[in-house]
Order: sequence, then structure tokens, then C-alpha cells
Amino acid sequence: MTGTGEDLASRRGVETDVYDPAEDSRLLADVACDEVSADDLVLDVGTGSGYVAATVADGTDARVLGADLNPHACRRARDAGVEAVRADLVAPFCDGAFDVVTFNPPYLPADAAAARDDWMEVALTGGETGREVVEAFLDDVARVLAPDGSVLLLVSTLTGVEEVTAYAGERGFSAAALADHSFPFETLTVLKLVR
Amino acid sequence: MKRDLMDIICCPLDKHDLDLDVESEEDDEVVAGTLTCTDCGETYPIEDGIPNLLPPDMREETPA
Repeated sequence: MTGTGEDLASRRGVETDVYDPAEDSRLLADVACDEVSADDLVLDVGTGSGYVAATVADGTDARVLGADLNPHACRRARDAGVEAVRADLVAPFCDGAFDVVTFNPPYLPADAAAARDDWMEVALTGGETGREVVEAFLDDVARVLAPDGSVLLLVSTLTGVEEVTAYAGERGFSAAALADHSFPFETLTVLKLVR
Repeated sequence: MKRDLMDIICCPLDKHDLDLDVESEEDDEVVAGTLTCTDCGETYPIEDGIPNLLPPDMREETPA
């Protein structure tokens, strides 16, 4: 059953309303600390616990905002010292505002049998393909990027790195893989998207 | 939220500027207040320092 939504959800702790930082969060935070400069304005989409936003802010001295749909996540991120905004992806942010946008999206393909209908499912699953949230993000993120801005996006082999790269290409982005980490059940990749 | 967040956020519906109405402020942060779109007039609450900029139809506390 390795790789099903139910299996991963249970492995990743479903007893809370907010996704706790895991290998994917740490990989994205490490890469972002290398990519972000002190004078950058950064947005962490789907900030959850605020781990990536707080780690990047501490590691780079940049101003990092955290956005999340989940009110519990917003409160927890704020408690972690993150400037939190309750938002649907990048919808309430001004055109050209950010130098870097980071996103560790919900990416597991939904498993109807494991449907939970709660905040943790929202944090984990990206629709039938696992790409619905990523695609909605890619449809709008260019709007909020500064002219030389970039996106750091965590993608899993469970989601389909090639499919995400192709979709980003249709939205005018070129992609480069900055880091990978392999696990028995998936390989995680951080893609840097630039226009 | 910090007041200079006003330079970064906009109405999620039409992307116009927002007006800030402060109800309470602590340590240079707006703790409670209201954001109002200068174009469509939609209002967005600031509660416990967190602006809720979800479109009105997404504001429920439950995910479904």
C-alpha cells in the first residue's frame, strides 16, 4: 500500500489540523536559504506550521510572509513569528510584489477511499491527479513575481515532476531542479521556476 | 499585521487597493480591524493580527 494517500497521511501525522514540517519542508527550506538574499521580499504559500517561512527569515534576514487557507495554520505560523495572511494561494497579493515565492503544495493524488474531508486532507491532497492545487498556483503566481523573481516549488514523483514542469512551461516558466532527495516511497525535487 | 503590509496586499477579487480601518494596535502591529476594497467595497476582517483575505465564499472555518 506504500504511496497511497491514506498511508502517507497516517505516516505524516493526521492527529492535528496543521501539517507538521517533514522531509519535504526541510528540503525546501534548505534550498530557499541558499537562494534568498537579505533584501528580498519572500512569500511562502501554504505555510502551514510556518516552518519554511521562519527558517528562511532566520537564515537570510529577508522579510518572509506566510499565506495559508487554513485558519489554524495561520495562527500557528503567527505564533512561530511569521507574518501570516489567510489567503487562497496568491490571490490577495499585489502584482510584482515578490522576489521569491516558495510553495510546498498539497500534492498527493486523492484516494477516494481515504477521503477525510478535514484540514489535513486539504493540506495533503491535490485532487485526483495530485496536481490541481499546483496548477492553480502556476496559473496565477507569475502575476505576483517581480520581473527577476523566481518560484521555488517542491514536487514529488508521486505528483509527476515532468507533468508539473510541462505545465509550468505552458505558463511561461523554465524549470531547473536545484535539489533532490529520494525516499523509499517517493523522490522529492525542488524546482526553481523563472520566466 | 504590520501597517506596511498594505503595500503588498490587495483585494483578492479585483486586485484593487484596500483601505485600512484600525480597531486596535499593539507594538506597531494592527491586531484588529477591517480592510475594505476601494473599488468593489468588499470588507475583510483582521483578527488576532491576521488579515483574512479569503474571498467571502471561502471564509468558513471548515474545509468542506
